[in-house]
Amino acid sequence: MEEGKVLEIKNLHASFSIQKKDYEVLHDISFDVKRNETVCVVGESGCGKSVTTLCVMQLLPNNGKINSGSIILDGEDLTKMDKKEIVKVRGKKMGMIFQEPMTALNPLLTIGFQLRESLMLHRGVDKKKANEMAVEYLQKVGIANPESRLKQYPFQLSGGLRQRVLIAMVLSAQPSLLIADEPTTALDVTIQKQVLTLLNDLKKDMNAGIMFITHDLGVVAEIADRIVVLYAGRKVEEGTTEQIFRNPKHPYTIGLMNAVPNVDADEYEFAPIQGTFPNITEDIKGCRFNPRCTKCIGKCFEEAPETIEVEPGHLVACHLITKED
Amino acid sequence: MDDKKKIIQLRKLKKYFPVNRKQNLKAVEDVSFTMYEGEKFGVVGESGCGKSTLGRVILQLYKQTSGSCVYYGKTINEINPKYIRKEIAKLKTYQENADKNFKKSLVIDAEIEKLETEHSQYDADGSPDDAKKAAALSKKIDKLKLKSKEFKKQASRELREGSRTVGSLILCRDIDKIMELFNKAEDEVALAHDAIVKKNEVKAKYLENAVVLEQIAETGAQLKEVEEAYKKNPTLELEASMRDIKALIEKNRNVDVEALKKVNEELAVKIKSLEDAENDHHEKEMALRDEAFTFRGKDILPLTERCLDPEYQKKLDGNYETGINLAKLTPEEMRYLRRDMQMIFQDPSASLDPRQSCGKAIEEVFEINTNLPAAVRKENAMDLLEKVGLKREHYYSYPHALSGGQKQRVGIARAIASEPSFVVLDEAVSALDVSVKAQILQLLDELSEEKKLTYFFITHDLGVAKHFCDRILVMYLGNICELAPSKELFRNRLHPYTESLLDSVPRLAIGEERKQVEVLEGEVPSAINPPKGCPFHTRCKKCMDICMVEKPKYVEAEPNHFVACHLYDKKEN
Repeated sequence: MEEGKVLEIKNLHASFSIQKKDYEVLHDISFDVKRNETVCVVGESGCGKSVTTLCVMQLLPNNGKINSGSIILDGEDLTKMDKKEIVKVRGKKMGMIFQEPMTALNPLLTIGFQLRESLMLHRGVDKKKANEMAVEYLQKVGIANPESRLKQYPFQLSGGLRQRVLIAMVLSAQPSLLIADEPTTALDVTIQKQVLTLLNDLKKDMNAGIMFITHDLGVVAEIADRIVVLYAGRKVEEGTTEQIFRNPKHPYTIGLMNAVPNVDADEYEFAPIQGTFPNITEDIKGCRFNPRCTKCIGKCFEEAPETIEVEPGHLVACHLITKED
Repeated sequence: MDDKKKIIQLRKLKKYFPVNRKQNLKAVEDVSFTMYEGEKFGVVGESGCGKSTLGRVILQLYKQTSGSCVYYGKTINEINPKYIRKEIAKLKTYQENADKNFKKSLVIDAEIEKLETEHSQYDADGSPDDAKKAAALSKKIDKLKLKSKEFKKQASRELREGSRTVGSLILCRDIDKIMELFNKAEDEVALAHDAIVKKNEVKAKYLENAVVLEQIAETGAQLKEVEEAYKKNPTLELEASMRDIKALIEKNRNVDVEALKKVNEELAVKIKSLEDAENDHHEKEMALRDEAFTFRGKDILPLTERCLDPEYQKKLDGNYETGINLAKLTPEEMRYLRRDMQMIFQDPSASLDPRQSCGKAIEEVFEINTNLPAAVRKENAMDLLEKVGLKREHYYSYPHALSGGQKQRVGIARAIASEPSFVVLDEAVSALDVSVKAQILQLLDELSEEKKLTYFFITHDLGVAKHFCDRILVMYLGNICELAPSKELFRNRLHPYTESLLDSVPRLAIGEERKQVEVLEGEVPSAINPPKGCPFHTRCKKCMDICMVEKPKYVEAEPNHFVACHLYDKKEN
């Protein structure tokens, strides 16, 4: 394993079975997350970004399974672990922040109880010490009067504060990988800005990798070091933020960029990607994007494109892009 | 903007939700603005700023606490609301009250004059005892002056209320005669209404027969077409459509075509005569109103000095309301008007019935609002599906079979089915993916141009607001912060809150192009106990002393650019 890599996903294939038939939802996904780096996974709903996180957390529902490939976290392959081993890793080495902070916290228990529980479990400290540490972590995520907040219940906190509490809870286990699944989608723009700034600040002293799932390209520009673009269960493009934003190669990435109304531009014509996102039960031959692509060539309908490295670190899967470019 | 036709005007609209016996949640506070026909009016703000409440109050889904919301899309004569008669009956009281208040103020004025002469006597002397008395007197005079002003204000308030129904005629001595004429005009409106209702009934019968005649002529060819399509591409939708056509052929087998044609000719004559009657009543109504307005400017009561001023009379005429005051309508009248004012919701799957096919959901609108025959309703529903970019076969599909974007299209089709002129879109594209979002916005844009729709577009996505809307209203804690044309708002943001809000939007820029901005600290305070003075002062970086005490006025700081902030009060002075 290369130096500095926290998570390495290699050739991951996953499928869901619906009415006794298997449908592939992830096809040959590979990417990695390095220490002190934020990798954003971008795509429309149904593209497989949440399934990828579930695979990493080993939380797939009963009808889903990983067919092949490996997920290596800190040198250990998660796909080969049994349930007991996974429990020790989950929460400790990898923490997850969910989209809806209200459903992620237990409404019947105080913030303090829930924070202490995590600390006592993962850090092995006693209750008194856990309390002190809980205060410390709440301060770290920018919550004023942490002592009184510990005694409060989730309903007494606003959405932004709840999300901060969740971040504190995840951080308190000192994980090497932080997975954030659309953590700011349910928040207002001003609060979103606060949370993103917080995450950017924490990244420096956390010594962990962040895997950030989102569909908002504005958020991506704010937080990402590298970007992975998924479409219908396939990785269509990967590269650094600089590469993807300045020089997007795949027609889908270009379409996504154009579909977002730019707040700073004076003139803007709405430029949607025509057509609808394919259902997983649909069987599309060749490139999965071909029904919506405006630049299709004959080859696109016959075979799936291979992933090509156009620049160091910039990977694209499209027939239009050849190595010579 | 004066040449544009108004569609909705809000005046000091307030909406409080009671929390307990003593406290209210002040969701919307003193909101006044005007929307024009064909405008895309955007409303932005954080959650809890009252934007959704405002949208619902306009549609009268919530009753407003105070203020008024007047709709100009239809005139009073078209709707014939009941409250107009009540208003006419009240005219005399308005006039009498104004008179009473004015007379009271005159009495006080006389007293003031007396006291003032007394005061001037004391002034001449210089002894300390007199000075004390003079001071007491001047205090008394000030108090009385205030009282007199208050009475005068009340008088002109009464006149203003009356002028909403009859314009400057409220000043005429002959108010009884005017009331009588207006009442008669209302009678004619009611008669015309009856004629319209009857006409619609007859028309429905006529259309039903026409449809049957058309079906007999066309169903054979249609069946062939659908059968061929089914052979090529067998779908459940086509199968259902085939079944429907076959049933129609079976039903029409025993119809006597000739007799039906004859019946329809008779009905056409009847429709024509009812139309004539309707026009007749309208003409009579107009004549009565014209007669009433001949009193304008003649035999004016000298209620206040201003009454005789032609400028003031013109101003009162300007108050004459052709629009409909939504809050005064009865529930039935509002339900009738609701076809004009529709709503599209955020979550398309929650707003569609999972057990009802999409076509039926749209058809229901025609079922409730019109008396079109079933076949026409279905045809219209299919046309609408095509219009919003779906296929005719989607008439038979259920919501679970559609994607989010498609479901939202059905929601839009249902909203425009009743041919509204005003649509409230409550975060209509927020739940959709980026690529689909742009599709739906394009569709909405096309529809607004084609049908001259006015949108009240509630959103928290400022990028969408900037490029979709013509004007944007920024709200904070139930109050208006800023209202400006969208491009202007982004170029020249005046209110500190707008500035922070716009800065918080995640930008697409990377690297050196990124602007470093300050993060807006803190959170929105509770609307139950809003901060005193300017509601934003707790988070504002440019907060001054006055902000904590006094609520800023809503002023036009630059042409067409309204703002409520003390920073811009001073410029005015």
